[in-house]
Amino acid sequence: MGGASVSAPGRVDTRVEMGGVTLRNPVLTASGTFGYGAEFAPFFDLRRIGGLVAKSLTLEPRSGNPPARIAETPSGMLNAIGLENVGVDAFVAEKLPALPEGVPVIASVFETEVDRYAEVCKRLTGVPRVSGLELNASCPHVKSGGIEFGQNARLLATLVRAARRASSLPLWVKLSPNVTDVAEMARVCEGEGADAVSLINTLQALDVDLATRRPVLHNVLGGLSGPAIRPVALRMVWQAARAVAIPICGIGGIVTGEDAVKFLLCGARAVQVGTANYLNPLAALEVAQGIERWAGEHGFPRLADLVGRLEASREGSS
Amino acid sequence: MTRPLRLDAPVVENRDEGGPHRRLRLRVADWPGFEPGQFVMLSPGARSEAERSDPLLPRPMAVYRAEPCDGGALVEILYKVTGRGTTLLAEARAGERVRMVGPLGRPFPAPPPERPVLLVGGGTGIASLFELAARAADAAPVRVLLGARTAADLMGRGDFEALDLEVGLATEDGSAGRRGLVTELLEEALDRQGAASVYACGPTGMMRRAAELAAAQGGSCCHVSLENTMACGFGVCLGCAVPRRPGGFALVCCDGPVFAAEAVAWAGLP
Repeated sequence: MGGASVSAPGRVDTRVEMGGVTLRNPVLTASGTFGYGAEFAPFFDLRRIGGLVAKSLTLEPRSGNPPARIAETPSGMLNAIGLENVGVDAFVAEKLPALPEGVPVIASVFETEVDRYAEVCKRLTGVPRVSGLELNASCPHVKSGGIEFGQNARLLATLVRAARRASSLPLWVKLSPNVTDVAEMARVCEGEGADAVSLINTLQALDVDLATRRPVLHNVLGGLSGPAIRPVALRMVWQAARAVAIPICGIGGIVTGEDAVKFLLCGARAVQVGTANYLNPLAALEVAQGIERWAGEHGFPRLADLVGRLEASREGSS
Repeated sequence: MTRPLRLDAPVVENRDEGGPHRRLRLRVADWPGFEPGQFVMLSPGARSEAERSDPLLPRPMAVYRAEPCDGGALVEILYKVTGRGTTLLAEARAGERVRMVGPLGRPFPAPPPERPVLLVGGGTGIASLFELAARAADAAPVRVLLGARTAADLMGRGDFEALDLEVGLATEDGSAGRRGLVTELLEEALDRQGAASVYACGPTGMMRRAAELAAAQGGSCCHVSLENTMACGFGVCLGCAVPRRPGGFALVCCDGPVFAAEAVAWAGLP
């Protein structure tokens, strides 16, 4: 895997326009894996990545689930944090000012009812440092809200419509993989005025501790993330990209620049690095550098020319 | 607080210390120094070019000690091979690189000079106490109490004995020191000498008992270093939350790992 010292071999235009937000490169950090951003400031200059999606915000602070909250699985991990967060007002008052100017901040919004989602969106609108919103319609490990919206096309339409009315900010919707037809969900978002869709959130999952014959997580169910889910995410990005014209932000197990390039080829215009931020606080920066290096080495002076350029079949590769 | 680094540190030595114990020494350029009780995250799967994603998560490991070396430091980790991660880590040979993030976490508070210091270590928890023992000896009288199942499980015993401090031992099978629990030694020490600054790291039951004994001895204070599964070590995965008193959760990685014993909600620990 690439080191932090790699410089671009050729000039590659890495800028992307992503659902109303201009990014210097296509690498953002996934919500819930990057704190509120400042936690990573000791490790690298945040302005060197495309942007960050902050931890999901609710109207009031939430304290999250009792332990155990995480568990390791083959090439992945389960989590059921329970959307612990400081609440939207503390985010605006305390967390945003700690971030350097020049890194686009996408605020992730979670709630249990449509009206409350809309209220959080409203409170983030007009805040100078917020470049866009990402609706978390897919959290698989809280008792109510989130995933119910992401699994029911009618509910999802209602939610996106309400958020669209509540805010003039660029609106992204993070989709759940725990659905039969992700393309349909993407079309619903597009139809209700979303500017982009992000996918995938974690896969709903469970593991068992044989020593105690109990679930490994206190919450029983958790969300599976990490390299284990990458092929599922690539499949869903590819399906969604064929269904909608709005841009797609690809998420799922990205660790290296090469992983990210696969998402671009499957139709993602940008990507989010998630679980890898835990293992390696420089992961997002190294993915951005890795994409640029790969594009330079393979004759793509514009990253935009890679998007959706998956060849039709193995035989058809040029 | 020291600013943490992320780097791929070359292995200088990964020595068999007998039984399941290993002593890993990493050469770390620009090491910012550390305080007793701090830890690093080590990725056993991320070695040199052959990065693997399974096991995925880095392992929190106490910094045992660090000595200056060519503008950086040799950072020493004393660990026990217990599972897949540590088994892989034990395979790391000199010259290979291991991904390290650290130093991390809140350290043990320096002991006040007016009270004697009692360090209580159990099993692998012993490794968290060595630097504290080495530094506290300058400030106050220090007594180290180490416990484990057998003599072979007393990791780092020779290092503590070389510090020229009073060292008391307890093993469950009686193969070294007292047959019994290290907390029995603590109880006797507190009875004998009165109020003390107690620092404990080891199994939850051991730390809980140490906290009770210190609380019963008026004028004592007790700090414990907790362990938990964590994915990051620097406060973003929120996976290592433990219930705290009077309410809510604390993160072992950045609110701890060292806590005042009275802030720990023992019954809720995983």
